[in-house]
Amino acid sequence: MIRNSFLILLLAGLGWILFQEFDSFKGSDQLNPVAEYYATQGPQEVGAANLVTSVVVTYRGLDTLGEVTILFLTAAIVGLLFKRESNSETEDIYGTSEILLTAGKILVPMLILVGVYIFINGHLTPGGGFQGGAVLASAFVLAALTFSGTTVKHRVLEIVESFSGISFVLLGILGVVLAGGFLDNKIFSLGTFGHLFSAGAIPIIYSLVGLKVGSELSNIVLVMKSSEKGGDHD
Amino acid sequence: MINFNSLNIETVSMGIGVILFVLGVWGIVSQKNIIKIIISFTIVDTSIHLILVSIGYIRGKSAPIIDAAINKENAANEVVDPLPQALVLTAIVIGLGITALMLSYALRMYKENKSLDINKFKALKW
Amino acid sequence: MVSPISSIAVLLGSAFLVGLFKKTSYSFAQMLSLLAIAFPLFVSAQWLIHFIGTSDGAVMLYTAGAKPPFSVSLQIGMAEAFLTLAVNLLGLLSIIYLMKPFKELGVKALALLLILVMGLNVIILSRDIFNIFVFLEIASIALVGLILLGKRKHTYSAGFKYLIAVAIISSFLLVGIAFVYYFGSTLNIDDFVAQNLIVTKGLSTALFLLFIAVLLELKPFPANGWALDLYEAAHPGVGALISGGTATASLYVLYKILPMGADYWSDVLIWVGLISFLGSNILGISQKNANRLLGYSSIGQIGLLVAVIGFSDQLGSHFEAIFFSLFISHFLAKVGLFWLSGWVGKTELTAWSILRTKPWLLLVFGIFLFTLIGFPPFPSFFGKWQLIVDLASEHGFNWIVIILAGSLFEGIYLFRWLGYAIKGEKSTENKPLLDWQTALPIGLFALLIIGAGYVSNQWMPNGQSINLIPVFFILALFVLDFLPAWIKNTISIAGLVVYGYLLYPELSDDTLRLVFAVIFLGGGILTLIAGYSVKGKRAGFFPFALMMFAGLIGLVEADNLLQFFFAWELMTLGSYVLIIRGKRSMLHAYNYMLFSLGGAYLIFMGMAMATAGQSGISLEILRTTAFPGWTYALMAIGFLTKTAALGFHIWLPGAHAEAESDVSPMVSGILLKGGVFGLIVLFLAMGGEQAQANPLVYVLGWLGAITALIGNLIAVFQEDAKKLLAYSSIGNLGYVLFALAFMSNIGWMTAITYSLNHFLFKTLLFLAIGGVVLRVKTHNMHEMGGLIKQMPLSFIAVLIGIITLAGIPPLSGYAGKWLFYNAVIAQGWYFQGAIVFFAGTIAFLYCFKLIYAVFLGQPKDKFRQVKEAPVWYIIPQIILIIGIMVFSARPDLILKPVGELLSGSAYFPTDPLNWESVTASTNLGYWSGYKIMLVIGVMFMVLLGWLLLMSRKAQKIKQFDIVYAGETPFTPGTTHFSHNMFAPLYRAIGFLTLPMITQSWNRVNSTVHDFADSARKIYSGNGQSYLVQILAYVVIVYLILF
Repeated sequence: MIRNSFLILLLAGLGWILFQEFDSFKGSDQLNPVAEYYATQGPQEVGAANLVTSVVVTYRGLDTLGEVTILFLTAAIVGLLFKRESNSETEDIYGTSEILLTAGKILVPMLILVGVYIFINGHLTPGGGFQGGAVLASAFVLAALTFSGTTVKHRVLEIVESFSGISFVLLGILGVVLAGGFLDNKIFSLGTFGHLFSAGAIPIIYSLVGLKVGSELSNIVLVMKSSEKGGDHD
Repeated sequence: MINFNSLNIETVSMGIGVILFVLGVWGIVSQKNIIKIIISFTIVDTSIHLILVSIGYIRGKSAPIIDAAINKENAANEVVDPLPQALVLTAIVIGLGITALMLSYALRMYKENKSLDINKFKALKW
Repeated sequence: MVSPISSIAVLLGSAFLVGLFKKTSYSFAQMLSLLAIAFPLFVSAQWLIHFIGTSDGAVMLYTAGAKPPFSVSLQIGMAEAFLTLAVNLLGLLSIIYLMKPFKELGVKALALLLILVMGLNVIILSRDIFNIFVFLEIASIALVGLILLGKRKHTYSAGFKYLIAVAIISSFLLVGIAFVYYFGSTLNIDDFVAQNLIVTKGLSTALFLLFIAVLLELKPFPANGWALDLYEAAHPGVGALISGGTATASLYVLYKILPMGADYWSDVLIWVGLISFLGSNILGISQKNANRLLGYSSIGQIGLLVAVIGFSDQLGSHFEAIFFSLFISHFLAKVGLFWLSGWVGKTELTAWSILRTKPWLLLVFGIFLFTLIGFPPFPSFFGKWQLIVDLASEHGFNWIVIILAGSLFEGIYLFRWLGYAIKGEKSTENKPLLDWQTALPIGLFALLIIGAGYVSNQWMPNGQSINLIPVFFILALFVLDFLPAWIKNTISIAGLVVYGYLLYPELSDDTLRLVFAVIFLGGGILTLIAGYSVKGKRAGFFPFALMMFAGLIGLVEADNLLQFFFAWELMTLGSYVLIIRGKRSMLHAYNYMLFSLGGAYLIFMGMAMATAGQSGISLEILRTTAFPGWTYALMAIGFLTKTAALGFHIWLPGAHAEAESDVSPMVSGILLKGGVFGLIVLFLAMGGEQAQANPLVYVLGWLGAITALIGNLIAVFQEDAKKLLAYSSIGNLGYVLFALAFMSNIGWMTAITYSLNHFLFKTLLFLAIGGVVLRVKTHNMHEMGGLIKQMPLSFIAVLIGIITLAGIPPLSGYAGKWLFYNAVIAQGWYFQGAIVFFAGTIAFLYCFKLIYAVFLGQPKDKFRQVKEAPVWYIIPQIILIIGIMVFSARPDLILKPVGELLSGSAYFPTDPLNWESVTASTNLGYWSGYKIMLVIGVMFMVLLGWLLLMSRKAQKIKQFDIVYAGETPFTPGTTHFSHNMFAPLYRAIGFLTLPMITQSWNRVNSTVHDFADSARKIYSGNGQSYLVQILAYVVIVYLILF
């Protein structure tokens, strides 16, 4: 009881702190100078129609590199946590239902297609590497759930993961050598604004990110799944 | 009295964000089941995303993608702030990573102790 | 120069690459990781050298081909280069240190470490708050993975607690950043600061969330249970990464964002930091698990660093040097301790006695601990000194008290720990192997501490005034420690002789200092001569003995407060190690250290108050202090802990009695004079005769008188010969204090005479008794007896010693008495004088007991064959006897110049002694040591001749010729006359000797421990409670602020 009332007091305090912010928040009518720069200079400098993408991949590319790293870390740690079990693959006791099997056959290829589409067009339309990668991963996970015999090999995922990560870093370094700085996308020609092959390195980087995110997310889920099967032995 | 006519979309989403934040924290400090605590964390994450998006919103403006509808030259007057949206993207990914790790650790703890009650993990103390 | 961005790219690229390797090619992956970390290490070093060599400002590094605030920008300057160098070095050595656990866990773990180091680099370099947030998350997540290394019990739950704590902290951080962006329209730190925004309610709350989250990352007390659990559960190598790596980066983040906040944030940092420092160190006291203790200590030290950042405005141009020295001390020592803890393997503090199997590791352990506490010549000493002096100039005395109290509490647990390592029970288990992967990082960090000490010393204002030659000499002795003892002994003696020779011209016109220089150096040489009797290597003895002597002589040489305090602490450090070498000295050395530490901090506090508002730190400013009462009282109490005045004496008997035979004279006859010299310096500063009105002096006089009485009285009832001498020292020092407190010319002459006498006779007695103890292997007097035949020379030495001690003519003790009566009468302190007089009478009793019980009476069977004490013990005794004779016959040689110095100066011009050749006179009478010696000598000869003449026909009875009436006593030991010799006296006034003071100190001790033990229960182990604590911390700090 005492604990609960103490908690309520604390939450009231927290609410009070946040209310200060809510109370001072008046919304905005126009862009601040930083955002204005992105809106006005972004299209020329970066060449991406999707301004969010120009910010994510180029202006704040270092953050994005960090995000990719976080996913890599997560996949690696989950792998370490369930290291022993992943070898002891046992039979799927549940089996696969007819509905899932049928849906899977249709959905998996389509999901892959959609995922790839999303990250390749990340500089033009809503979405990008992360979104596309997530869709891609859902395709793999669905495949793993549906066709229990044909699991995606961890090794392949790892290679894709590392390859795309290293390529991202290398493209970043190329920015130092060929353009204005680390992760500058102007290492390739900016192309025609609004076309698929435009915005310099952005489509390439976003494709790499998509591959990386797709393989990492699949990896996380698959490792957890395999641990569930063999986990009760230790 | 709240005048509902003067409520803007960003104020509403900001308010919901703030309330969700407190609710999430309430779940974090009051739930005993580790999985419920983790879910509460995802609620907090969501609330932060809402707050970020509300901050980036500009009244009456459109998504920051230059296409047929939005003129490249006049983009500054037609789009919302792209930066918070980029931040949300990053925040989502970080939240995802942390949630995945929490779940993995919880699974590990469950296998060790056969329990998901956070009060059962007090071996290290003082 | 190579851009630091390439470091980031290389680390990240290799992390992705390393993850690809298979188990079979693990060693290749490991090599790649080492190279990958070596590269940024090289880059940082290159930049650091560049910034040191030139005076260039920081360089901005842009990304994405755009300028900030539109893109993320990094900055490298001197600070960034240095800090990245530190974390990269830590990363490199961690791979080496953790080689085996890494191999067990596989290539992915290597990738985690590379990413952690990369993350820390970016956190340090980045100028963008959101970017910092992302990489803080990266570092935290990488750590969550690394704690799986060398998995221990409860790793998973500790990891989970860490994760949820990090998650909630980062939630606050992210909300804070979001609103900072809303109100400030930028994420770039410099851009934000440049805008100079008007602080509104919303903005200040946003900044609050930002700051509190970064602070929470630094684990402030008491919202830090999650971190403690992690420290306990993680492999020590990972603990090192947390304490040295992530904390370093977070500290720098705090420093970077500080200009964004309003002015009051500096105060918040100070309070948060100092509360952490004090609270964490208090709670650490009851901790028995080494890793968790290191956690407590880390949190405390980081708290101090947070406070230093808060002080950055006050410290001004000194900030960098202070922060450097405190930071590097924490970084190197704490990481080193974590690594050592990994080698020890077991977590209980008592298990650390295993270090004795590798003496150099024990030395390194000592270096780490002394660095943490802040002893010279290690870097933190200089940092703490300057920090406190600078705070004092701002009148921040409350802060100083907190810092010193926290340091004292830290000392309580660290020195107990050191005691276990040096003297704790040997563990019976097999000693762990020491492979190069462990030895290399630990050894390297210990060496770096020495180097950092030198840098701090040179960097700090006034640091260059310290004479480092003795320090280098001591270091050389450490290097030469493999040589046999006699060679090192010769080197040490030669060192003291040469130093004395070089020093003499400097002191020849200052007799007061010269007297003490003679005591310190001459005494050092004499007592070292006795050390020739020790065979073998005597590992680790000589450096510390020389350290003590270097400290003592440094006191004499000191011109400014820093030199004085440096010397004082050096002396303490050396003597502590000498004392703890005794067989049963663990507890005594610990007590000695605690009292010394407490005393040193009081002195420090007094000195700091003296510097407030004055320019410079010369000893002269003590005279013009703005806070005379506080300065003098604090310093006096500090010095009294060293002279073992009543109330602060409980460490002395054990420490002196249990020390090795030739160490006892060092720490008794010589070391105690360090405290006396301190008092003299202080009283000189208090300024001559006008100070008589000072109530402090009056109180000290009383304290001296009572100390003399009680010390002597307890000595009477001792059965242990060395304890008897030890208690006698307490009494003797009481005389000295009493005489000094007269604050008159003749009083001081008395004090100097007493000091010199005490040096001569107590060194003599301890050497003589030490020689006897070496032969008979016991301290108990009633087990000895009748040794006069076997050890005639020792007998003569003791005889001369006690005659001097008791103040019997003709020896110099009488000179002291004569002067003393003159002084008492002149001063009019009759009542106190009577007490001291009574104490002198009591001294006769124990003097008699000492010589009778040891040398006279019935000999014991088992000691029929014992030989005279080793010749190396006899030689210094003879020299000391000669010294006593010379001083007895010609006291004017020393007293006259001292008297002239005192009367000629501004201090004590009135009522000096008048000298006519060797005869001294006051208005009460006259005295001539020479004539007295002559008269007594003639009388003695006449009586002796008469006695010999008369006893020609007497029957000689052999010493063993004795018949017990009836039967042989069952326990001859206890029926020995000298056992419980003064029982009737004890029945009469023994209540005065009850250990009341010891008991009250014990009560203080147990109260503190009980408090710490119950207070640390807040760390309940429940991860959710930790979250509640974090939440409460946020809310409470907010409510205090707004």
